[in-house]
Amino acid sequence: MEKERQLFDGEPVIEFQNAKDRRQFLKYAGMVGVGGTLALTGVACADDKAKKPVGKKSDDPSEKPSVPQGDIDILNYALTLEFLEADFYKQGVDSGILKGRELDLIKPIADHEAAHVATLSSTISDLGGEPVAKPNFKYPDSTFKDKGDFLKTASTFEELGVKAYHGQVTLIKTPTILGAAASIAGVESRHAAVLAKLLGGNPFPAPVEGTLSMDEVLKAATPFIQS
Amino acid sequence: MERRDFLKGSAAVIPTSIGLQMLMSRGTAFAQMADFKDDVEVLNYALTLEYLESEFYRQGNGAKLLSGTEAGYLKQVGADEDAHVAAISQTIKDIGGEPVAAPKVDFGEAFANRESFLKTAHTFENLGVGAYLGAAGFIKKPEILQAAAGIFGVEARHAALVGDLLGLEPEGGVYKGATETPETKANVLKAAAPFLK
Repeated sequence: MEKERQLFDGEPVIEFQNAKDRRQFLKYAGMVGVGGTLALTGVACADDKAKKPVGKKSDDPSEKPSVPQGDIDILNYALTLEFLEADFYKQGVDSGILKGRELDLIKPIADHEAAHVATLSSTISDLGGEPVAKPNFKYPDSTFKDKGDFLKTASTFEELGVKAYHGQVTLIKTPTILGAAASIAGVESRHAAVLAKLLGGNPFPAPVEGTLSMDEVLKAATPFIQS
Repeated sequence: MERRDFLKGSAAVIPTSIGLQMLMSRGTAFAQMADFKDDVEVLNYALTLEYLESEFYRQGNGAKLLSGTEAGYLKQVGADEDAHVAAISQTIKDIGGEPVAAPKVDFGEAFANRESFLKTAHTFENLGVGAYLGAAGFIKKPEILQAAAGIFGVEARHAALVGDLLGLEPEGGVYKGATETPETKANVLKAAAPFLK
C-alpha cells in the first residue's frame, strides 16, 4: 500500500464514544513521535511507562499478570483497528453487494475480525487495563454500494493492519502478548493476500512484511477521526 | 468450550478469562520448550525449511504445470522463498554463525500434475507458518524477531493464496481460524521428513 493513499478520500470514519477514548487513541501518535523532537520525548515517555507495571490487585498474582502499560497501549491500538475492520466487514457482508466465492471468502474475514475484537478486549481487561469502547465509524456512501470500492478499502485496511502489527513487534515487552499479536497478524496477512487477489492486485508485494509505526498508521487514520 | 465455538462467538458470550487464556497459551506453549539454544539455531531451522521450499518451487515451477496468472503467482512465491534463503543465510553470517547447507530433497510425486503441486505447496506453506510462530518465542535479538515475523506473514499470504487457487473451503482451507497456530520443532521436522533424503 502506498503510504500516501488516503482512506475514504479524507471523509471522517471514526467517531469515538467519548473524549477519553479519542484522546487515548491520538496520544499514541505523540508517544511514537511526529518529527525528531517529539520522538525523543516519546521514547522517554514510553520508557517511563514501561517501568510501571499495571494490573488489578489479586490474591493470586498468577491469575492477573502484570504487564507494562506500553503493552496495554499497544493492545488498545490494535483493538481500535480491529473495531474498524470488524465494523467494516459486518456492513460489507450485510450489504448484499458480495456474491459467490467473494462472499464466501469475506464472511470468515468478518468472523475473524469480530473474534480479534473479542479476544483483544478480554485480554486487556484480564491484564487490568481498560479496553477502548467501540468508536463510531462513518464511511462514504459508495463503500457498501459499490463492490469495487468495498474491496479496495478492504485491501487498504488489511495492508495497513498487517504493517501496524509488524510495526509493534520490537516494541511489545511481554513475550506472551507478542505471540498472541503474531498469531493475529498472520491471519491479517492471509486476508491481505486474498483481497489483493480478488482485486487483481499483487498478493505478495514483498518477500517480508513491511512495518508502519503507530504514528504512520494514525496519520492514515486521524484525518477521519471526528472531534 | 471448543476453539471453533470461541472463534465464532462474540464478546458477550465469552467469559473474560477465556480470551486471555487463549492468547497467553499461544505464547507460553512454545516459550517453555527448549528446542533452540540460540538465535543461530532458530535461524538454521528456518533456513532448512526455506531451502526445502525454494527447491520445491524451483522444480515445481520448472515442471510447467501451471499457466497464466496462476503460474505468475507461484513464480512470485518461489522468488520470495529464494529471498528468504538469501536473507536468513546472510543474517546467520552477520551474527557469527554458520548457515547449514541445503538439504538433499525428494518431492516424490508432487509434480505429477497441477493439483499435486499446489496441494504440496499448501502443506509446505502452512507448515512454514506454524514453524515460524512456534520458533518465534526463542528469538532473542529484536531485529531478528522483526525479520522472522515479516517472513512468517508472507508465508501466511502464500498459504492463503494457494489454498484459494485449490478452491478449498475458505475456513479451514484458505484460512486456519482467527489466529495462527504454532507448531513445535518436532512436529515440523516430522512433517518435513518425507521430503528430506
